[in-house]
Amino acid sequence: MGGGEKPELMINGKRLDGRMPDQLRSIKIESGVIKNAVGSAYIEWGNNKIIAAVYGPKEALPKHVQDPERAIIKCRYTMAPFSSLEEHGRSGPNRRSTEISKVTKEVFENVIMLEKFPGSEIDIFVEVLQGDGGTRAAGITAAAVAVAASGIPMTDIPYAVSFGKVGDTVILDLNKIEDNYSDADMPVAISPRTGDILLLQMDGTLSKDDVKAGMDMVYRAAEVITKVQRDALKAPYEKISERYTK
Amino acid sequence: MQIRTVTEDFIADLLANGKREDGRDFMSYRDIKVQTGIVPNAEGSAMVTFGDTKVIGAVKISPGEPMPDKPDEGNLMTGAELHPMASESFDTGPPSPDAIELGRVIDRGIRASNMINPKALVINDELVWSVFVDVYVLNYDGNLFDAGMFASAAALNTCRMPKYEDEKVIREGNLEKFKPGGLATSCTFAKLGKSIVLDASGNEEAFMDARITISNDEAVIRAMQKGLHGSFTNAELENLIDISFNKSKELRKMISDLR
Amino acid sequence: MQRIVVPGERLHDKPIRIDNTITDNNGTYSCILGYFDDQSKSLIPLEGLWLPKSGDTVVGIVEEDRGTTFTINLNAPYRGLIIARFIETDIRARDVIIASIKELEKDGTAILVRPKRLEGGKMISVKPSKIPRIIGKANTMVKQITDNTGTSLIIGLNGIIWLKGGNVDLATKAILQIEEEAHTSGLTDRIREMLEANKV
Repeated sequence: MGGGEKPELMINGKRLDGRMPDQLRSIKIESGVIKNAVGSAYIEWGNNKIIAAVYGPKEALPKHVQDPERAIIKCRYTMAPFSSLEEHGRSGPNRRSTEISKVTKEVFENVIMLEKFPGSEIDIFVEVLQGDGGTRAAGITAAAVAVAASGIPMTDIPYAVSFGKVGDTVILDLNKIEDNYSDADMPVAISPRTGDILLLQMDGTLSKDDVKAGMDMVYRAAEVITKVQRDALKAPYEKISERYTK
Repeated sequence: MQIRTVTEDFIADLLANGKREDGRDFMSYRDIKVQTGIVPNAEGSAMVTFGDTKVIGAVKISPGEPMPDKPDEGNLMTGAELHPMASESFDTGPPSPDAIELGRVIDRGIRASNMINPKALVINDELVWSVFVDVYVLNYDGNLFDAGMFASAAALNTCRMPKYEDEKVIREGNLEKFKPGGLATSCTFAKLGKSIVLDASGNEEAFMDARITISNDEAVIRAMQKGLHGSFTNAELENLIDISFNKSKELRKMISDLR
Repeated sequence: MQRIVVPGERLHDKPIRIDNTITDNNGTYSCILGYFDDQSKSLIPLEGLWLPKSGDTVVGIVEEDRGTTFTINLNAPYRGLIIARFIETDIRARDVIIASIKELEKDGTAILVRPKRLEGGKMISVKPSKIPRIIGKANTMVKQITDNTGTSLIIGLNGIIWLKGGNVDLATKAILQIEEEAHTSGLTDRIREMLEANKV
């Protein structure tokens, strides 16, 4: 957790940005922002601004990476060097982003019907243009829209969000300052149709009851996040239909 | 592999008849759109589209040490990223020679035109401001040089200047604007066979023999770069310089209007 | 009622058999972004790529001449392959061809037969999921394009369309409009009106 002097994160039951403990930041998604990709999405989740794009399925190369039974997924999560308010970062992957790429890939290995495209490869890119805590969750939520928009069959559209703990309070959807100073952080990705957990990471200190309370919030958040995802996917088609329904 | 739906013959036939795929004149830009401030964490940022080419220019400014040979000047570092999400032909992995060339040509245009005034970037005896300009290509459909240069100039011209107080950088709140010392844009021409076109699309670039980028401001040329195996005649060069002075006026006006 | 549905969205409260869906005890769910008709229980994909099937007509580009075989780019995860001794036409790398799929190999490679070179003309690439709409019921849509533009169209189920002659720009415009509006109703009439209005 972060160094320096720890700020007061909860005042009179409210968080620094005025949210209640179980309240999400505002989430907006736009589908179809990268023309060359088969599917893409731009998400603004609080102050996070992230683009996800999908290419493929295409012939998996080099040949030795091919799986004759199913498609393979390659995933690349990166943060732009200008994404933080502080110093200019390095571009390209590092240890942190490589791990996030891996766990993101595993989420999509669960929901994409890979057996439909044996021997092929699906590429998923997640680029954080601006980060403010919870970028892996927001990236997965956006990438799920990008994959669905491409027409690649999937058993569900997953979403992700994190929860954590400040003092005695379990809070949903940590922003950067909360992430830096909270007592715990637990990002989770869920298949809303089944409730199955597709990604789970955690560090800090949580009791079993905290996990239960946090997971409750995560499941309740599906109502909002899934709706934003579905609306984003339908919007481009509905916009065209509306031209002719009046 | 995505199929390229135009063939070399198709493009060549069009050009021989004085036409382009999208109906443009040989020396016209596509529709250019710019949106500034899209990454508020960066001191300056702009999303720019030239037709279906989409790039972000972003500026970060941080204190750093001056170069040993230039103790009284700030630093400029320009990089270009051909993001793999922008095209099936862009690879993951270390920056390609194409990406490095793109970054360096834009860097020279910025530097030579004094868009960054290095003498104005001294903080104290030990520290100067380092200005990082990143060009991020999000969707490729040709002419990354002009789109990247335009996005960089748009970001620099709408950029805030951080303050350095009590050994701390202040990046938010009431800040002054960054003051560019000049304004340059570039015009890039592609040569296919004998035809020369401004602002080539991806389909045109796929079959181009040579490319030339001319960066200039109102008065003088600030940087040039010729690329690829083909060649230009001296007469062509002179003509393209004239055209670049003329066409780049539109671009510079768009950027001045952002301020 | 017809509606746009997304993966994971429930189409029916009982498990029933529909293409591109999965079921559990609580119902039937879409696996694709599609257009669902509650009455006919049909789910039509709005997006998605083409997967080769035996008998499909395709338009592709000859990628490589390997002497005894040619590889063909079909804008798909799998290549096409033409066996040289089975053909009479002379084909070369970079040629645009129309061919049909004879069979699929284990690794997905499509064995193509009866290739024919397409000379000159123009290609456009559309989403393969929109091809049935571009062809129309009993070829109605494609016929009204050719009738009004004089352009010959060769349509590959892989999403590549080759156009030659007549008013190619108008034919292209019509195809791209069908691609964009494929999920709307009254499209055939609108396209006819557009073609007639723009006819020279």
